[in-house]
Amino acid sequence: MTEHALLVRSLGKRFGSFQAVDDVSFEVERGEIFGYLGANGAGKSTTIRMLCGLLRPSSGRAEVAGHDIAVSPDRVKASIGYMSQKFSLYLDLTVEQNLEFFGGLHGLGGKALGTRIDALLEAVDLRGQRAAVTGALPGGLRQRLALASSLVHEPRIVFLDEPTAGVDPASRRTFWALIRGLAQRGTTVFVTTHYMDEAEYCARIGLMVAGRLVALDTPAALKRDLVPGRIMAVEGPGLGAATAALRAEPGVVAVEPFGAGLHVRVEASVEGAAIVARVLASAGIEPSRLEEVEPTLEDVFLAAADAGAEAKIRAAQQAETLA
Amino acid sequence: MKSLRRILAIAHKEVLHVLRDPRSLYLALGMPVVLLVLFGFGVSFDMDHLPVALVDEDRTASSRRFAAHVFGSGELERVDAGGVTASDAVRLFEQRRAVGVLVIPAGFGASLARGRTAAVQLLLDGVDPNTATQTLGKADAVVRAAGAMLTSPGRGLPRLPVDVRVRTWFNPAGRSALYLIPGLTAYVLALASVLLTSLTLAREWERGSMQQLFATPVGRMEIILGKLLPYLGLGTTAVLLVLTAGAWVFDVPMRGDALALTACSTLFLLGMLGQGLLVSIVAKNQMVATQMATITSMLPSMLLSGFLFPIENMPAPLQVISNVVPARYFIHALRGIMLRGNGFAEVARDLVALGLFASVVFALGVARFPRTLA
Repeated sequence: MTEHALLVRSLGKRFGSFQAVDDVSFEVERGEIFGYLGANGAGKSTTIRMLCGLLRPSSGRAEVAGHDIAVSPDRVKASIGYMSQKFSLYLDLTVEQNLEFFGGLHGLGGKALGTRIDALLEAVDLRGQRAAVTGALPGGLRQRLALASSLVHEPRIVFLDEPTAGVDPASRRTFWALIRGLAQRGTTVFVTTHYMDEAEYCARIGLMVAGRLVALDTPAALKRDLVPGRIMAVEGPGLGAATAALRAEPGVVAVEPFGAGLHVRVEASVEGAAIVARVLASAGIEPSRLEEVEPTLEDVFLAAADAGAEAKIRAAQQAETLA
Repeated sequence: MKSLRRILAIAHKEVLHVLRDPRSLYLALGMPVVLLVLFGFGVSFDMDHLPVALVDEDRTASSRRFAAHVFGSGELERVDAGGVTASDAVRLFEQRRAVGVLVIPAGFGASLARGRTAAVQLLLDGVDPNTATQTLGKADAVVRAAGAMLTSPGRGLPRLPVDVRVRTWFNPAGRSALYLIPGLTAYVLALASVLLTSLTLAREWERGSMQQLFATPVGRMEIILGKLLPYLGLGTTAVLLVLTAGAWVFDVPMRGDALALTACSTLFLLGMLGQGLLVSIVAKNQMVATQMATITSMLPSMLLSGFLFPIENMPAPLQVISNVVPARYFIHALRGIMLRGNGFAEVARDLVALGLFASVVFALGVARFPRTLA
């Protein structure tokens, strides 16, 4: 049997009456960057915590680096790195002391640990900050230190829970360069984010909506499958008034607010730009921009969230008719 | 080997925290000594120079001689109230100028001259019962002595049919400091160790770093040991510091077995550290932990341990509760060892009680220490 880095089967977690994670199954291959996307409360962090052995699953099972999380959580913990959503290094210690501490937690010490710390500081470009007190570092550098301390024992898989939340765009780019480098050297990366531009870096993406994994594929395939048709980007004053009219137009699949304007999705076969221009003109609106754009993951996310909501409504109606 | 490395990594980190934040160092080492000196000088049950006003309604040679004898001893200090009457007593008490008023009624000298019993009156401010009791005792003694001098002048001190000579052993001067230091030692140790341990663990929960620890192979026993070791060291240092300060500043003797004292202190410290562990598990944030540590360690160690109030004088329910206050046994053992010269044999019961408390609290703490987040 070929060993997956991660193998998740019907995993579920229930807190009281709240089903945080519901029947989730997927695999992640070695050296893959796997993105886990979803709104706040969709069950991303809960899934990660179960896979890291921090939470016991209510149902289902999972193997991490070949070890069952319920049977041998300690082996799982020895082969993973975990960077939590909340920055949880020690602010009163120096950069080097933090790394030494986490190395020590994994049973490392002496010369081997020293060499490893040198290499890590080099890799995350923090050599100059070695003796700096962590609390004095800016956010982007702290994030890199947190990554380094989750890598100190050379884990086969790293779980990064919203690693770039609240970090400036330049630092985010640097951080993602590090993550790509890791994956190229064979480390599996499991990352959650709500920045859709970051999700484009992932080899595959799982979309979580209300505890369920509603879609799982490469970014390109997700766009093709979940956002069929073509997308017209419209910008201009007074667009809100025309939204209803656009939705009612035959050939228009969906109208979503996007940035300052609208994304109007039309069937592939129709002349989208002409239809939108006509509807807007009849509403007396002069668009400042109207052009076809490539779908982004945000479009995918919006479409999936809609589909998820619809699925939930259907399930509720079914339950009602049964009762 | 790996386990030892993990424990040492946690212990080392804890030492770094303490060194980085001198407040905890002050809390552990500075505060006990400061408290010791403040309490040692401030909380003293010895009283002399008790201010007492004199109301002489007799105004005879006898009454003046009597007053001179009473105030001549130095136990009671005459407050110069310049011709007060008995009805002024309340005012003197309210102004806190006197704790008692001695009234020599008119006819005192005449009664004495006729060989009859002459009465004097002592009015006491009962707001502070301890002071009132001491004033009463002292006044009683000096008035008797003065009375005797007056009735049999020239013959010196009279011989009473029974000659009682009181000798107080182990603390012949009746100094409160000797009595207080062992209690203070327990109190500051209880406070410092429970508070520091619960704070350091609560901090990990609060900051979310406990979650980070749980995601590594480190076991909960390793976390607990690594966390407590540095504080055991700090606590031991605090014991030595307090005892040394006690010996230097207050001349508290060390008559008994130092090894027995070490054993008692170690067991007591372990119990207190275990209690801090329990508090942090229940509290999980520093605010609540501080309050719980204070209520569960500081107050019982001070009020229910026999440190300030004798256990025998407590209401029955409180006496029962005091049985589970480890400070009670520690103070009892410490007093015995330091003042009475006790050794292992005499403090065996206390050692067993302290050991039992430490084991139960630790077992509870370890059992309740979570392995996962939920």
